Amino acid sequence: MIRVSQDKLLDDTTRAALASGRAEPALSLFIDTLMEMRGICDHEGEMIAAAVLETETPAAMSPNALDMAFAAIERGGKSNKVRALTYPELGDVPVALRDLIRDAEAKRDWAYSGPGIRRLDLGAKGPLKLEIIRLDAGKAVPWHSHKGRELTLCVHGEFSDSIATYGPGDFSVTDGSVRHQPRAHDSAPAYALAVTDAGLKFEGVLGAIQKIFGQ
Amino acid sequence: MKSDGSSSRGTPRPAGETLGESDRAHFADLLVAVAERQDRQAYAELFGYYAPRVKSYLMRLGADNGQAEEIAQDVMVTVWRKAQLFDRQQASVSTWIFRVARNRRIDLFRRGKRPDLDPEETMILPSGVEAPDARVEAMETETRVRAAMKDLPEEQVSLLRLAFYDGLSHREIADKLGVPLGTVKSRIRLAFAKMKAKLGDA
Repeated sequence: MIRVSQDKLLDDTTRAALASGRAEPALSLFIDTLMEMRGICDHEGEMIAAAVLETETPAAMSPNALDMAFAAIERGGKSNKVRALTYPELGDVPVALRDLIRDAEAKRDWAYSGPGIRRLDLGAKGPLKLEIIRLDAGKAVPWHSHKGRELTLCVHGEFSDSIATYGPGDFSVTDGSVRHQPRAHDSAPAYALAVTDAGLKFEGVLGAIQKIFGQ
Repeated sequence: MKSDGSSSRGTPRPAGETLGESDRAHFADLLVAVAERQDRQAYAELFGYYAPRVKSYLMRLGADNGQAEEIAQDVMVTVWRKAQLFDRQQASVSTWIFRVARNRRIDLFRRGKRPDLDPEETMILPSGVEAPDARVEAMETETRVRAAMKDLPEEQVSLLRLAFYDGLSHREIADKLGVPLGTVKSRIRLAFAKMKAKLGDA
């Protein structure tokens, strides 16, 4: 388990990567979700970027661009039917995550991953794997055995491992040295958002992780 | 619609300058008009200012002319559709539209495919959860960011731009400017600290 301070989570490099959209997608979503759940706002980076956008030399749009936009607006989006979530309690998670869950559910089912455990791959592009893991009430997961690092954020419900109890917004960073076996509390299912290296080492694949999570 | 982004009705706004407070308030009025009464003229003026700048941003990031046009278009259609989520207490129109554009970019990166002109689909939008105090401060911060950018030396503004806007890593910035990595790190730290100090001035 690695302790992480908020300063490290939001150092200049990270803020720049998040503000500009350059961060690894899985990591970006993880941190955005974490920040939102903890009520951390970091708008200064975005405001700098927005002010720069104003100074941008305009690139001419084609002459009929506005008409085409109105035409697209009138065609409307696909019907506003929004897919119901498999687990309605996930409707409370930050919007970006919820949309991604909905999108993933349209493409694949939650995979069985042991008694009382299901996981949904959120299909992040890039070398990191982003998934959401559901633990039935009272169920423990022998957290998969790979040796890499894992970032885990509790997004709904509560679970505990040998070190701590995690409620919404609590997260842990573990490496292979820790036997991390979260167990959902008895009263309700728990959900964790997890970023893993998909069998690769974080080191080298993603230098940012070192900057963000120390060491 | 003139190609410099000014509208036939609005005051032409030169490229290369940030918006003043009255312009920002005006654009916020326009976006609220789009949200509340689907005001097409208001939208046209926003389109005239923002679409060419968003396009330019996308081209800077490596999109070709056609892709940039398509994504900028897509971003602006989203602006119409999601206008009711805009909260003028919380962000300027520029910040809001930048987020839409930035998130569209992340979304495309995540999916690894070209846009299909369906801005409804998994559009990652800022969810706008904020403490009331933070909301009041947000507009002051918008003003101070622009003031601070005027005061900072050009070299430091350009570093902030490379990092926060272009999204270059420190290593890439070092290569681009031909200076040591350590220098880039310390200069960015200095520029950001100066910016933060100015933001802290009440």
